[in-house]
Amino acid sequence: MTSFSNNVVLKARGLSKQYGTVQALDNVDLDLCGGEVQALVGSNGAGKSTLVKILTGAVVPDRGNLTLNGKVFAGGDTKAALDAGLACIYQESQLVPALPVIDNIVLGRHPTNRLGFLNRKAQRETVVALLSRHNLQLDLDIPVQALPPVQQKEVEIAKALSLNARVILMDEPTASLSHAEVEKLFRSIRGLREQGVAILYISHVLDEIFSIADRVTVIRDGRVHLSTPIAEITKKTLVDTMLGHQLATEVTATHQHARSSQQVALECRGLSKSGYFEDIDLCVHNGEIVCITGLVGAKRSELVRALFGAEPAERGEILVYGHPVKIRNPLDAIRLGIGFVPEDRRQDGLFMGLPISANTVMAYLAKVTHLGMLSQRLMRVIGKKQIEDLDIVPPRLDLSPRALSGGNQQKALLGRWLAGDARILILDEPTVGIDVGTKANIYSLLRKLASAGRAILLVSSDMEEVMTIADRVIVMAQGRITGTFEGAQLSQEMILRAASGEVSQ
Amino acid sequence: MITDNARLQPATSTLSGRRFLRAYSLALMLVVVTALFTAIQPAFIQPENVIGILYQVSLIGTMAVSSTFVIITGGIDLSVGPVVALAGLAAVFSLRDNGQVLVPALFAGLLTGLICGVLNGIAVAAFRLPAIVVTLATVSIYRGAALLIGGSVLHQVRGPESFLYIGSGRVAGFIPFPIFIFVGMTLVMYFLQTRTRFGLTVFATGENAEAARLCGLPVARTRLLVYLISGIGAAIGGIVLSSQVSTGAATYGNGIELDVIAAIVLGGTSLRGGSGSVLHTVIGALLIGEINNGLSMLNVSIEQQLIAKGLIIVLAIAFSDRLSRWADK
Amino acid sequence: MLRAIRKSFGSTNLGLVWLYLVIILFFWIVSPDFRKPGTLGNILSGYSHIAIVAVGMTFPLLLGGIDLSVGSMMGMVAMVIFDAVLLFRLPGWTAILIALLTGALAGLINASLINRLKIQPFIATLATLVAYRGVTYAISGRQINPELTVVAIKDSMVQALDGSIMFRTADRALWQIPYAFLYLVVIVVVTMVLLRKTKLGIDFYAVGGNQTAARLAGISISRTTLVGYAMSGLCTAIAALILTSRMRSTQEGLGQSLELSAIAAAIIGGVSLNGGVGSTFGAALGAFMIGTLSTGLTLIGVTGYAPQVVIGIILLIAVGYDRLLAGRRVRKWLRRQYGQQFAHQLANVDEIAPQGASND
Repeated sequence: MTSFSNNVVLKARGLSKQYGTVQALDNVDLDLCGGEVQALVGSNGAGKSTLVKILTGAVVPDRGNLTLNGKVFAGGDTKAALDAGLACIYQESQLVPALPVIDNIVLGRHPTNRLGFLNRKAQRETVVALLSRHNLQLDLDIPVQALPPVQQKEVEIAKALSLNARVILMDEPTASLSHAEVEKLFRSIRGLREQGVAILYISHVLDEIFSIADRVTVIRDGRVHLSTPIAEITKKTLVDTMLGHQLATEVTATHQHARSSQQVALECRGLSKSGYFEDIDLCVHNGEIVCITGLVGAKRSELVRALFGAEPAERGEILVYGHPVKIRNPLDAIRLGIGFVPEDRRQDGLFMGLPISANTVMAYLAKVTHLGMLSQRLMRVIGKKQIEDLDIVPPRLDLSPRALSGGNQQKALLGRWLAGDARILILDEPTVGIDVGTKANIYSLLRKLASAGRAILLVSSDMEEVMTIADRVIVMAQGRITGTFEGAQLSQEMILRAASGEVSQ
Repeated sequence: MITDNARLQPATSTLSGRRFLRAYSLALMLVVVTALFTAIQPAFIQPENVIGILYQVSLIGTMAVSSTFVIITGGIDLSVGPVVALAGLAAVFSLRDNGQVLVPALFAGLLTGLICGVLNGIAVAAFRLPAIVVTLATVSIYRGAALLIGGSVLHQVRGPESFLYIGSGRVAGFIPFPIFIFVGMTLVMYFLQTRTRFGLTVFATGENAEAARLCGLPVARTRLLVYLISGIGAAIGGIVLSSQVSTGAATYGNGIELDVIAAIVLGGTSLRGGSGSVLHTVIGALLIGEINNGLSMLNVSIEQQLIAKGLIIVLAIAFSDRLSRWADK
Repeated sequence: MLRAIRKSFGSTNLGLVWLYLVIILFFWIVSPDFRKPGTLGNILSGYSHIAIVAVGMTFPLLLGGIDLSVGSMMGMVAMVIFDAVLLFRLPGWTAILIALLTGALAGLINASLINRLKIQPFIATLATLVAYRGVTYAISGRQINPELTVVAIKDSMVQALDGSIMFRTADRALWQIPYAFLYLVVIVVVTMVLLRKTKLGIDFYAVGGNQTAARLAGISISRTTLVGYAMSGLCTAIAALILTSRMRSTQEGLGQSLELSAIAAAIIGGVSLNGGVGSTFGAALGAFMIGTLSTGLTLIGVTGYAPQVVIGIILLIAVGYDRLLAGRRVRKWLRRQYGQQFAHQLANVDEIAPQGASND
């Protein structure tokens, strides 16, 4: 790896930004070099998103300056940033759903002739050339809303590429991608690197960072604490720097549970839904944490949502504590003592406009109804208990979930089900977008809950997470179970094989 | 109160000054407007005039508090105007055909409102059609129905006393009865809003319907009920109106939905849903009533009144909408 | 060739055209009166101006907004024409120019309320609905000079606006095509070209489809808003010109409830309330569907106010059908491309169609 110090494309010095009493960024320096992938890591609230907003021109810093390709950048002008060759691929899709791929790629920059009419021919030529240059395969005329998330990400990349961007910022680009798709993305990124593009890669997934980045910068509390070539740091040091203290690493449980003596809490037989999943047999015992993993498209979410009654299955049996039951809607599941933390906590889980005290009791309103009337007092009591038990910060009942970090939001969501004493917990990708510290926190919480006798079913795409927390791992591929592993058989390789379709045992 | 959005505050905020403003901006505005009109014309706050304001406001106010839940669920009910006419006609016809007996007339009117509301609710809740289009369509349908039933003539009633009292009666000699209806309806709605599971479910549905569903809440049923309540509120309005003028007509209530929505929106309830309060709607209705009354007192011509009303709505909304967007960020 | 035609109609739901043809066929068979040449003339002259307003309304709708003030704008512009000709005795062409300017200006005011004061379109245009009606009353020449109430506009240029082309067919039947319809055709062609073939047009769909993405891509939201609402105002002004010419006068209440008809027409024509979907051709088609149904029903004896009820029901059906179609449209495409399994991925295609009253 050659030294890139004389190829600095973006230079930021002394960036500072204050929101009210909070110093979001404090004297941050950043150098992005052409042909280098720099990773940016930090816990939630560390200042990453503010930094991105300043770089893209969406926000003007209080102090500090920004130079792009030698030109000083005043900030506050997103168009200027684009023109200067800085593109950002956000976590949330920035595509227009009803428009076809070809229009999304050149959005805002459609080639026109003198009178303002679209030059479709030039547009198609340019885009086709762009795609072939970067080895991307996309159907240009299909509306993007019809594409799977992976391909939508590729459209976003093509969009950034069409800007002739010299700097590309990527915010959690692998959030909804499977292992194979991440590899595909990395190939594109390496290609970009070879062409001399400077890439800022923001991610929580440390494995990925060690795989793709040349350099890593750690932000904590708005300040840069570390910036070093990736070869000169270990994962442990990295995590410690991110958290600012020595993390107690023993979150991993001893997996050898004598679970055969425990009761089967949730079981399904032959569960099927045409087009989604087929012939699913699984069971979860009391005191057990079972992880369902697999590639994107394996239909794991659909399966667990069917178990919760959100979108019920068509065929098959579900048994709770040995009794066959009909779960046709969430209320049925809730009545049986099942709780569900959905994948998208903002869209499907939390009520952002309502206070925490309302959020925690929403699934069990009967518990806070006294003589037919809603009791504020009971709501407060229950809310308080969850805040204390789960260590939710800041510990205030009247706040809206917006005031909480992602990790605490997830805890609040979990609290909703604990409030009603759900004995069977289903969680779908519970730690996506959550920083390392809170992740550990949640893992130990789940372990505690399991030890207390609850049955936990967890969908996860994070191999590290699965290896850390699962007592048993179920692997799905294309709607079927392709493998079940536990104890000594638990190995990443086996899981990956099963995930790509090799059926075992 | 738990559902009063004004109390929510992000942890990292120095909004305290602004938060205060937003929560009380409405009440402040009311005070300001009152002070303004009083300064120009001292007779404004005379008890006689205040009663007059409340009287005018009772009709719109009753309907507005009944329709507030619809807006909180993120829906809208444009069809309240024709329902006013239909309910009034139903009551008047019942009086004519059943020998001037009060109770069947009330029953007929309320039932009309209930049916209209349920039809709206089914289209929105069961068929998942967008509320604005549904109630747009039912405006036509209900108005057409009213015209079919009642024709374009006025249908007069001369009694009974009890019926006429609803609209024109005065309690203790000077307080118009409709005010009591308004107050009563407000109390009922406020109770529902703050003290019942239904109320909380309304907010949950408006705030995040999918999350509400995943909590096992009866989202469709809630949606249906809010339109039902809105229909009944409009029916009450229709009965009061018909009683006030002792006539039923198919053309009544034309355009009243705008005043109703304006009252709700002025009161700070967001059209996006998930927040709001019946009490705020009351203030919104009072504001509109004050503005109407004040402008009349100043002998402002009808056209200038309309312009002024438009301007005031814009200013009021701009102020509170901006604040709510800021807080949303 | 069929493909080319389909492509040029873009966002229009061609199933709608099919449905319209079915309706025409139905009435053609059932009612002898429907076949008379006068009927076509009636529908065209009765609904062309509504279609024009619906076309104008398409722009705010595409942006994900709405324009409730079109009715009041119409009344206001009509009154402006009245005053210009009868009160100030200005020549016809001046009055026409002023009318168009007024419409555009009113639209720009709407856009400014939304852009500058950041008020939601629903509320902003609700307020201008009230305000413009007030202005109509305020500037009413009829009130200032009550004798004018019985005076008719005699300016030849203004009068000429609402003429018709007449011709006789072989069987000596007299057919009438009002100029208003011709204006509509021109307007539809121009707006379709604008929307489908210019960058500004694509920007409309982008802003309506994903405003954040559009903004981040450098598209000026405020500019598209200004153009969109100005178009609405302009089209309303044209419609006002047609009506004023026809009636030779106006009233303060002209245009009341027009916004509802225009919105209904646009929605039936496939324009989505959430923005980003629809075409002006569809909106015009929607207006004529309402017109044809109305006329047809009256001719077959459904009298009085029942047509209004039927229209309401049709609106409901149209919306439900369109949502169904929207879902099917995408699923069908997916099935063709990726096979059965994938089509189900978009089970929640609700996102394409309108969901609530919220207009953002």
